[in-house]
Amino acid sequence: MIWLGWRQQRTETMIAAALLVLVALILVPSGIEMAHQYTRDGLSHCLGFTPSQACDEAVGSLEQRFNKFIDLIGWFNLVPGLFGVALAAPFALELERGTHRLAWTQSITRRRWVVTKLGLAVSSTVLAAAVLIGILIWWRAPLVRLDGRMDTGAFDSQGTVILGYSLFALGLALAVGAVWRRAIPAVMVAFVGYFVARIFTDTWLRQRLVTPHKLTWAAGRDDPRALWHAWKISETIVSINSHSGLPPMAECIRKGATNVKQCLAVNGGHLQAVFEPASNFWPLQLVETAMFGGVAIALIAFAGWWTLHRE
Amino acid sequence: MSAISTDALGKRYGSTWALRDCTLEIPAGSVTALVGPNGAGKTTLLKLAVGLTRPSFGAVEVLGLAPREDERELMPKVGFVAQDHPLHMGFTVAETLKLGQRLNPSWNDDIARTRIEHLRLPLDRKVGKLSGGQQAQVALTLALAKQPEVLLLDEPVASLDPLARREFLNSVLEAVAEHAMTVVLSSHIVTDLERVCDHLVILSESRAQLVGSIDEIVASHRLLTGPLADASDVARVHDVIRASHTKRQTSLLVRANGHVYDAKWELHEVDLEDIVLAYLGYGVAEYELEEVVR
Repeated sequence: MIWLGWRQQRTETMIAAALLVLVALILVPSGIEMAHQYTRDGLSHCLGFTPSQACDEAVGSLEQRFNKFIDLIGWFNLVPGLFGVALAAPFALELERGTHRLAWTQSITRRRWVVTKLGLAVSSTVLAAAVLIGILIWWRAPLVRLDGRMDTGAFDSQGTVILGYSLFALGLALAVGAVWRRAIPAVMVAFVGYFVARIFTDTWLRQRLVTPHKLTWAAGRDDPRALWHAWKISETIVSINSHSGLPPMAECIRKGATNVKQCLAVNGGHLQAVFEPASNFWPLQLVETAMFGGVAIALIAFAGWWTLHRE
Repeated sequence: MSAISTDALGKRYGSTWALRDCTLEIPAGSVTALVGPNGAGKTTLLKLAVGLTRPSFGAVEVLGLAPREDERELMPKVGFVAQDHPLHMGFTVAETLKLGQRLNPSWNDDIARTRIEHLRLPLDRKVGKLSGGQQAQVALTLALAKQPEVLLLDEPVASLDPLARREFLNSVLEAVAEHAMTVVLSSHIVTDLERVCDHLVILSESRAQLVGSIDEIVASHRLLTGPLADASDVARVHDVIRASHTKRQTSLLVRANGHVYDAKWELHEVDLEDIVLAYLGYGVAEYELEEVVR
């Protein structure tokens, strides 16, 4: 049965492998260059909380040079979804064509068929996701050391969440495919569902998973140390002593201020940040992975159950 | 001993009955034709027997086992070729045989290879590139190499041209001759099956209308013709399956209980096709009647 399972998802396994190769082709050369520049410019000395002028320039130069790749990584958010739906396709395709009945009228039990098919889909998705995680973590390592990994763009491509995302897309496509029995529509619906779930998580849900910290400080002072490498969800102006609201810029400039922050400082303003500190990286990763993974397991189990009991 | 027995078996999809109150026995070692018009429940009955669907009512047993509950024990003993004989179109013939080998502990590779060789099918050819007849033969090979005790074929020849139809049925005959097994073939055309089968089940309107050995069936059915008359006298003794009247004469197709002796009626033998048609409610075609009368 395992031979049959592999034979049937051969094309889709190749698609997943080709995607990985593509990602590697884009990221490996630039990753090597970035690691090289990091060492050459001695950026390991710039990791402290209070950077020097020279460090600022060196870091700026690195970020500018690799900016287009950092943007590109955003598109790689689609890759776990593609893994999931591609590796779910053989299951839906088999139900669509009715060839599962061929397997069910051989000597194996239907349960074993379902478990093997779903097991293969899950394990190849996990494998593909693991390789993708490896490439992305390796590539971003210098940037993570400099800027942390809490910002949405970095968080999504680090740690274990990719595993959860891939399995979620897989589960969704399997469940839709099991009920609908049309591979192409199932894959498309699942991919849209994956996309919506990711946007929803990035923009609304994640900041509610682990209670963010809140910090207030006088506007004239440097940012507090706790904000180092943190994910700043919001930053607002609070408690301006003279009157409510920001004084007119004109008045500020007369007093010698050159920007809003100075203006605030002159008027004794305070800033308040809501943020997830760097120390919340793993709790957030694990909660989000468990969430996507949990839904995925439920969807995959449903797909199997439905397939076994429908006919 | 019966290879397949059903007891008040029924299958309902929503408010539609696909099969209703079906009680029948198919003896072990028989080759049975399962005949009925499209939608009569032939496919449903076979799917129930092989566990592809579960009964809504009643029970079905194959070799004394329940297809769904005793799946593990029963499936190695049952070969099944579905109506559209689904195969993996992207697989080569060799890969399809490998599938059979991997999924069936009782697989006999000699049977498979010999058959494929005999059919002159190239092992490296994609199944999707084969003709309909060849695909049906590959599907049959898959079912036969499993060495089943019961072989179920759902409309195996419906989509085939006359030559492929003949070849396929010959393959079935050869297999039955070589290996003892019970075969059930469904079809909406009886002529194909008469040559191959020794038993008959007629399904119509989701129910079993007639079950028995073909010899007995043919021997017990008679066509009676005579002047226009009421059939109630005959019906008291025999089962009148079909009565038709023209201006001058009445013709009755009856299942005789014992001898038909009545000077009023002229007796004719009927062939299987006419009997089947009578049970399916089509009557005996008018021109054929005239032929018989003349």
